[in-house]
Amino acid sequence: MKQLLKLEPRRKVAALAAIWAALMAAPFWMPLLGGYTALGTRVLVLGLAAMSVNFLLGFTGVLSFGHAAWFGIGAYGCGMILKYIALSTPLGILAGTLAGGIAGAVLGALIVRRRGVYFAMVTIAFGQVFYYIAFQWSSVTGGDDGLRPFYRQPLHLGVATLDILNNAVAFYYFVLVCFALAVAAMAFILRSPFGRTMLAIRENERRARFLGIPVELHIWIAFTLSCFFMAYAGSLYALVNNFADPRGLHYSQSGDFVMMAVMGGMRSFWGPLLGAVVFVVFQDYVSSITINWQIFIGFLFVLVVLFFPRGILGAIRRTVVAS
Amino acid sequence: MTKRLKLGAVDSRALIKAGGVAGLAQIAAPFVWSARAADTIKVGIIDPFTGVYAAVAQNELIGVKYAVEQINAKGGVLGRPIELLVEDSANDVGTGVQKARKLIERDGIQFLIGDVNSGIALAIAQVSNEKKVLHIVSGGHTDGITGKDCHWNVYRVCNTTKMEANSVAELLFNKYGKKWHFITPDYAFGHTLQEAAQADLKKFGGTVTGNELTPLGTTDFSAYLIKARAANPDVLLVLPQGLDMVNCLKQVAQFGIDKQIHVAGLQQELESLEAMPPEARVGIWMFEWYWKQPGVPGVEKFVADIRQRSGGKVPTARTWFGYTSMMSYALVANQAKTLDGVTLAKALGNFELPPEVKLQPNKCYYRAGDHQLMTSAFVGEALTKPAGDPEDLFKVDTVIPGDKTSPPESETGCTLQWPA
Repeated sequence: MKQLLKLEPRRKVAALAAIWAALMAAPFWMPLLGGYTALGTRVLVLGLAAMSVNFLLGFTGVLSFGHAAWFGIGAYGCGMILKYIALSTPLGILAGTLAGGIAGAVLGALIVRRRGVYFAMVTIAFGQVFYYIAFQWSSVTGGDDGLRPFYRQPLHLGVATLDILNNAVAFYYFVLVCFALAVAAMAFILRSPFGRTMLAIRENERRARFLGIPVELHIWIAFTLSCFFMAYAGSLYALVNNFADPRGLHYSQSGDFVMMAVMGGMRSFWGPLLGAVVFVVFQDYVSSITINWQIFIGFLFVLVVLFFPRGILGAIRRTVVAS
Repeated sequence: MTKRLKLGAVDSRALIKAGGVAGLAQIAAPFVWSARAADTIKVGIIDPFTGVYAAVAQNELIGVKYAVEQINAKGGVLGRPIELLVEDSANDVGTGVQKARKLIERDGIQFLIGDVNSGIALAIAQVSNEKKVLHIVSGGHTDGITGKDCHWNVYRVCNTTKMEANSVAELLFNKYGKKWHFITPDYAFGHTLQEAAQADLKKFGGTVTGNELTPLGTTDFSAYLIKARAANPDVLLVLPQGLDMVNCLKQVAQFGIDKQIHVAGLQQELESLEAMPPEARVGIWMFEWYWKQPGVPGVEKFVADIRQRSGGKVPTARTWFGYTSMMSYALVANQAKTLDGVTLAKALGNFELPPEVKLQPNKCYYRAGDHQLMTSAFVGEALTKPAGDPEDLFKVDTVIPGDKTSPPESETGCTLQWPA
């Protein structure tokens, strides 16, 4: 056991290096396996969204089934800035993130007193409120046809201009940088005393309360942070598609995010990214072959839940440790 | 634990893993083979094969496949066979956009067909436009596609919402009465339909007795129907779609309203009529294409051929959309003798479809100004009892040519911007 602990940091560094190397080199190795750059970009964005869900589910222990709402608000916020106000990609991302995060903070205050299934139900309800707003308010959101037309704008970096609109590889790296920033922030929060408190609440809420931790406040902060990350991912998603549509806010989309998180491995930091890889890539390939692709994803999900309750990454980890 | 592993026994977990790997290998294989024969012309179709539009999307695919079969049997396009790549948009914009990029960037398609969902159609038209690939929208009806959101590379086969409204309005007014009452689903598409029909009515000099806005997913329409009956109109226009429409029509029949007031709607599809209980099949509607057209050349052969390929089901408007989209590309490419997107897009403007493709009595051509196909509207009555063939659920009254139902090019709001 002691030996194992000594091994752990080195192994962790190696794993981290491998993950980042794989992500950085993706535009080069993906085409060899029949992939394409745009697929990698989508995986990153949906992976970040799944990690945001997991920030709440895996590290605070509360399950939100309405997180697509914050994702969608981020997408609409970003799209509306680009469509109505200013042709600036960073401003769009900033506005989208703030819109979703603030909406999450306000409604989170109403939600955090609920627990378990009630929490999940209330999050669905609030999520659907935003779905119907996007669906019905056609003059602003474009309604059922979605918000368009808007396009992500080239980045002016002072010395050079990065054309992220037409250059798919450049856009991938732009999204990768955005992804890295968010992931670093998430890891930093989880390592802080606040992050440890979240774990304490997850493990035993009553004990945490007896220790004098203001549990509701902590859950609210965790919920809000998760909403900010989610909205950030959503605004990136709007840039990926150059489009925002109401289905992005629907509870079925929330379900997909939870599925990615659980499949990849909730409680582990990188698990949801792996889940997103599996989900998106699987969907991409299998749906080209058969229209019944959802059966396969469902089957995979059932297998994971039955045999690997800690998700795919959890299973891999256990095998590595056992060997 | 370690001891058991050392024994080398195959435990259940290992079996599951082996099974998983074997299963994945089945799926992984096709994309490793992706280096295929290079001399085919790749054509992509994106449609919602899963989700609420699955049935209509499937019919469209049958039409496209049939067209590919016909084209390849006659020597393909410029002597090269067509290879069809099918992608499911899952009725989700993000997935649709992803698939469009996949087809264009990775697979290198020359021509794109899709999508049934208007929102996805608009979104993937942005992608095809960015990549300069000729694109025919086969089944998305929203006006914008050949209106204010039109693109130089995008054509459309199915009608616009406005054309649907115009086609029914005149017949209803002349034949059934001047006082109309609307039941409108409360979202953008419903409002567009209602406004278009109301504008026509005003133009003819009729009056609106009321407009009931019903939320999406309404199951009980009784309050709206009682109100509508009390207003005593000549015509009751039922505009909800899908399950809402079925519920509304069922209640119309239960209340016997169809005996007192002329019940009508705008667009109707054979897929929907077939899915309805017989008592809900009432009213005057517009079909975008119908399989029973005695005396029109080519229709009988088309119906017979499709029946062979669809397990005996007749072609619907969607089958014809798919067929026509695919045939249009082959015809225009063979005529212009090129695969260049811009040249083909120019050549398709004012292109008239030959009889074996248009399968309707009137002239059928793509308008150069907004890229909309001028296709006929089949206006008639839904049949509670099928006439002979169990799939003959509609009686066509009149077939109105597309030029008559469509607003002039100047009113569509479309300005095409061609690449320099």
